[in-house]
Amino acid sequence: MTLNLTQYLESIRSDARLDHSDETVIMSELEAHIEDSLQELIGSGLTKEEATKTCLAQMGSTKSIARQIYEAYSQGSWKQVLLASMPHFLFGLLFVLNWWQYPTWVSIVLVLILATTAYGWFHGKPAWVFPWLGYTLLPVLVVGLMLLYLPRGWSFLVLPVYFPLALWWLIRIVIMTTRRDWLFSSLMLLPLPIIIGWLLAISASGRFSEESLQRLYYFAPWIGLSFMGLALTIAVFIRLRQRWLRVSLLAASSLFTLSLVVYHSTGALINLVFPGLLIIMWGGLLVPLLLERRLKNK
Amino acid sequence: MEPKRDLLKGSSGYLLLSLLEQQAMYGYQIVKELEVRSQGYFRFKEGTLYPALHRLEKSGLINGTWEVLPNGRQRRYYHITARGQAKLAEEKTQWLDFFTAVKLILQPESKGI
Repeated sequence: MTLNLTQYLESIRSDARLDHSDETVIMSELEAHIEDSLQELIGSGLTKEEATKTCLAQMGSTKSIARQIYEAYSQGSWKQVLLASMPHFLFGLLFVLNWWQYPTWVSIVLVLILATTAYGWFHGKPAWVFPWLGYTLLPVLVVGLMLLYLPRGWSFLVLPVYFPLALWWLIRIVIMTTRRDWLFSSLMLLPLPIIIGWLLAISASGRFSEESLQRLYYFAPWIGLSFMGLALTIAVFIRLRQRWLRVSLLAASSLFTLSLVVYHSTGALINLVFPGLLIIMWGGLLVPLLLERRLKNK
Repeated sequence: MEPKRDLLKGSSGYLLLSLLEQQAMYGYQIVKELEVRSQGYFRFKEGTLYPALHRLEKSGLINGTWEVLPNGRQRRYYHITARGQAKLAEEKTQWLDFFTAVKLILQPESKGI
């Protein structure tokens, strides 16, 4: 197969963003089709170069084929909808039912999150695993906050080591996910700005006191509601076929959830905090897109 | 008239099911068969055939199986399923009713197809 044809197929493969098993089937089929077409064109008297050019023109643009393949495969089943929205639903339930104050329930949810993520990660990384993966980053954040409570002096020693390591691990996970599809990275990172937003609303310094606990009790139903909103977003995301609709959905959902966080923590939406946080949040959703372009150009 | 270019949209599923009802075929064969049987009307970008086929397969209307040729090359043959045949019968009735109605309007003197 010539370089042109190899590049043509690679371009489709890269833009179609399929699971490995589906990718093998459809790429082998396209390759077989191109071979049949070339054989016929060369048999009709064309040179190899002319045949390649004609064959690629008959096949159509890589972008169009890749988009149609993506749309044929992107819609998840109802089982996948359930699996993908489950972590947000469970997290929301912890707050709606005030179970966050019981270590047993929190531990059960955390173990479930870690076990489900590990299972999905080592079984082909299906789309439903990425919302779960986002929550495995949470213990890293919690440990970071707990380090603030170390005896005086120790925090200054441990934090400069811990945070670069945690950041390195986060970037590594984001890169691995982005290699599959940048939208999955955005899906994974979606709850992080919400969690950080609520943490700041409860305690701007990151240190917890009796007063911040009172605020947590007060905010709990709204925190739960924001995660239920995310669960609904993910359910719709999994059923959508078109990529542009999926991106729009994530942008709209983050706008809604951020409005909820800012309104309930500051009492108003018209302030400087809201547009600032919105830009950071939308920027965060689009960072994986820029990262993917960079990875592809390498 | 501009021929149909995009096999993913519109009535492509019906056309593909109709072809596969008669015999199992592979992608390149389907392209050629559609072109010949429509007398060149259905000439489209060939790469768009595969998303259409895979969409039908995901809906359970057709089933693809790899077959190895004597020369060692592999081809994926598509077979219509029982569900596909039921869907085809349903769509065929709808299309024939539609054609009859259109013909009655365009050629009022005719009494049907």
